[in-house]
Amino acid sequence: MHQLAAGNKPELSASIVVVEKLVKRFGHFTALSDVNLSVGAGEKIVLCGPSGSGKSTLIRCINHIEKHDGGRIVVDGVELTDRMTDVNSIRREVGMVFQSFNLFPHLSIVENCMLAPMKVRGLSRAEAQERAIGLLRKVRIHDQADKYPGQLSGGQQQRVAIARALCMQPKIMLFDEPTSALDPEMVKEVLDTMVELARDGMTMVCVTHEMGFAREIADRVVFMDRGTIVEEADPETFFRAPCTERAKDFLGQIIH
Amino acid sequence: MNSLDFSIALQAWPYLWSGLLFSLALTAVAFVVGLVLGTCLALVQHFEVPVIGRLVRGYVALMRSIPLILVLFWFFFLVPIVLGHLGGNGRPVPIGATWTAFITFGLFEAAYYSEIIRVGLRAVNRGQFEACQALALSTFDTYRSVILPQVLRVASPIILSQTIILFQDTSLVYVLSLTDLLGAASKLAQLNGRLVEMYLVIAVVYLAISSAASQCVASLRKRYAIAGMRR
Ligand SMILES: Nc1ncnc2c1ncn2[C@@H]1O[C@H](COP(=O)(O)OP(=O)(O)OP(=O)(O)O)[C@@H](O)[C@H]1O
Ligand SMILES: [Mg+2]
Repeated sequence: MHQLAAGNKPELSASIVVVEKLVKRFGHFTALSDVNLSVGAGEKIVLCGPSGSGKSTLIRCINHIEKHDGGRIVVDGVELTDRMTDVNSIRREVGMVFQSFNLFPHLSIVENCMLAPMKVRGLSRAEAQERAIGLLRKVRIHDQADKYPGQLSGGQQQRVAIARALCMQPKIMLFDEPTSALDPEMVKEVLDTMVELARDGMTMVCVTHEMGFAREIADRVVFMDRGTIVEEADPETFFRAPCTERAKDFLGQIIH
Repeated sequence: MNSLDFSIALQAWPYLWSGLLFSLALTAVAFVVGLVLGTCLALVQHFEVPVIGRLVRGYVALMRSIPLILVLFWFFFLVPIVLGHLGGNGRPVPIGATWTAFITFGLFEAAYYSEIIRVGLRAVNRGQFEACQALALSTFDTYRSVILPQVLRVASPIILSQTIILFQDTSLVYVLSLTDLLGAASKLAQLNGRLVEMYLVIAVVYLAISSAASQCVASLRKRYAIAGMRR
């Protein structure tokens, strides 16, 4: 399925993302050290951990919005390196949803969804529009297609952001706290959309503290603290009986 | 002095009109050249292109710190000499007052517009750039389709006021012996002695054009306003 460079280990072939011994520094501060993670096709991973533990940094390294300083990241069979000439060939396959939506305010909802497929995937206007409307329908917001982002509620904007990412037909979706900027009554509509996406078989890495969501869809919960992965388990085990003190403290805090 | 007699201005209208057309043409060319070039200068600084970025910064600072009238003199006397040296024989190549005016205004306004755009670029939320990266948009598409349209919209009131100033500044071409609206009025006033009438008439023309421009931009803004967009 994936084309692997000679010398890659065979067990990588089933994974869409492989992270090995990842190091990321900001100046003298080490934000990630020795992070190892692999995400199989169709797998759903929930990343959690205290503020500043490096969750955002980790997923931002996966689509090279942050450049790592050590270790390896292989996405869809291609290693991310500084010398890589076409980082966009990887970004095309990796969708990302941000905490603050980051919709383009000067474009209508449907145009937000059409821009990248036309510019990057080379779709015609008509094709891009058809795809956009289809995915907006899927997130149940197609009746707002001609409005502008500023006219929608936060929950609606975030669903548009999900549709916009899906319009690129990515192989994996990254979510960075997609519900934490939302008013409580809008959290559910976004989570429902994500659950549906998970049921459709999308590979997902989600940074979120929504434990109900994690229980429902996660194959694995990965707990990070101070720039490393401290614990990994299936959600049932992790929430019921975390092994480490740090995870216990963390769960104690977020339940309140 | 006799009572006011505006019929003078009416008789002189063709001459005033040709002056006005020159002012408008100079404004239009300087606006287009200045905005396009200014956007490029702003991007060069924004990308911190080595060496060139610093040169551009120096150029913008220089243009913004000296009066336009001085720049007009410089270009009128310097450009022919530079062209002469480039041509090889060292003899000045006169380019004429009209060309001097168009080139100078374009280059001068570029400095002002570039500063407006540069500040606008810095004001764009970082999340917009990250969203473009995440969607695999090329740098070119990012700026053309996402960043610059937002910058130009936000900066349009300042761009407009700069352009109205530009329109008024076109009167400085009198130092090159060119005749714009104000120049035409001055010459007529000296000939017929009707200073008050002439200057009143053209003041009204300036006022009408500037406020028409403001009105026009305001209605464009209303029409193209981005629904729900703050700012
Ligand atoms: N651009 C940056 N420059 C300097 N330090 C940074 C930068 N981005 C992140 N950091 C630091 O790296 C550490 C990890 O940040 P990160 O945003 O990944 O944490 P997080 O786990 O996502 O936290 P949160 O739950 O608050 O979003 C933090 O200490 C943060 O201050
Ligand atoms: Mg974060």
